[in-house]
Amino acid sequence: MGKVKIYSTPTCPWCKKAKDYFKEKKIEFEDINVAEDDKARKEMIEKSGQMGVPVIDIKGKIIVGFDQETIEKELAK
Amino acid sequence: MYDTIIIGAGIAGLTSALYASRKNMKFEVLATIFGGQFMESGEVLNYPGIVKTTGVDFAGKMQEQMKANNIKVKKETVKKIDKKGKTFKITTDKGTYETKTIIVASGARPRKLGVPGEDKLSNKGVTYCAICDGPLFSGMDVAIVGGGDSALEAVDFMKNVAKKIYLVVKGKLTAHEYLQDNLKNIKNVEIIEGETKEVLGDKFVSGLKVDDKELKVSGVIVEIGRIPNTDAFKGFLETDEHNHINIDCTTKTSAKGIFAAGDCASGHEYQYVIAAGQGCMALLKASRYLARFKED
Repeated sequence: MGKVKIYSTPTCPWCKKAKDYFKEKKIEFEDINVAEDDKARKEMIEKSGQMGVPVIDIKGKIIVGFDQETIEKELAK
Repeated sequence: MYDTIIIGAGIAGLTSALYASRKNMKFEVLATIFGGQFMESGEVLNYPGIVKTTGVDFAGKMQEQMKANNIKVKKETVKKIDKKGKTFKITTDKGTYETKTIIVASGARPRKLGVPGEDKLSNKGVTYCAICDGPLFSGMDVAIVGGGDSALEAVDFMKNVAKKIYLVVKGKLTAHEYLQDNLKNIKNVEIIEGETKEVLGDKFVSGLKVDDKELKVSGVIVEIGRIPNTDAFKGFLETDEHNHINIDCTTKTSAKGIFAAGDCASGHEYQYVIAAGQGCMALLKASRYLARFKED
């Protein structure tokens, strides 16, 4: 399975919640800090068409926000 | 038949749940999201006994405390309440519950500007959570709309993130004095007095129209207060002019057996400690009501 990417900012509560969720499930993910990484920020905006965090990329499926139900559905695929 | 159904899982609702659990009541907590608004607050410096925490850390601690007391929050949205004799029927998006009492702790949500362009550009430069999405505006110019505590806290948060901040205030600043004093020391903020008329932009925000002036900004952070989540109870419970559920000093609402606590209730001051106190009071009063209920 391709690595999960989480585009986040250090202060965003829902980003922390999302990261905690993946840690708890022992699913490896790449944490991308879009507050510092301009290139990644652009990539995130392009992929999701919006500017809210977190944005979670699971095998190319883009999920905006910590939407646990959708995340579980995608992980089960 | 439940003893009580708690609607909402912010501080008020979770405090009620904690007390309900310790009283061995038969209850459920129904909420659209766990954590309520504290998932969107930054630093917390005024909760008695806690020198400093953040909204998300506080939420984590509360989650731990719920687990320790075997309390589970059901992710359901309440649609309406009906009276059935002396009891109530609650209809959610997933089912129905019959209960003798109800604690409404449904909280509040950010107030919107209600101007053209706002909805279209929501999450495309318009945000209601500075600490969440603010860092995305790193090195850009932003407008923060509002003159209360949240707006000035957002300015403080954004001062090292944004290039320039326009603080758009309609009327006077209403934030606490220490926040207003702090504002004087922030170099990259300019106060613009006026009314927001339109959020400008095609795919993303490109500006904000304030009266006849156009501010060129990439981000608009809206901090103009909150509105209570009380739509589902309209007509069933008496509310004040801003739709907060009217309560007396013991959290009783206009309907016998229904209590309300926290930001959804009248007398709201949007404080963690008030929500916790009212959540506790509501459950204890519901418990007393139940004791008499059995005798009837």
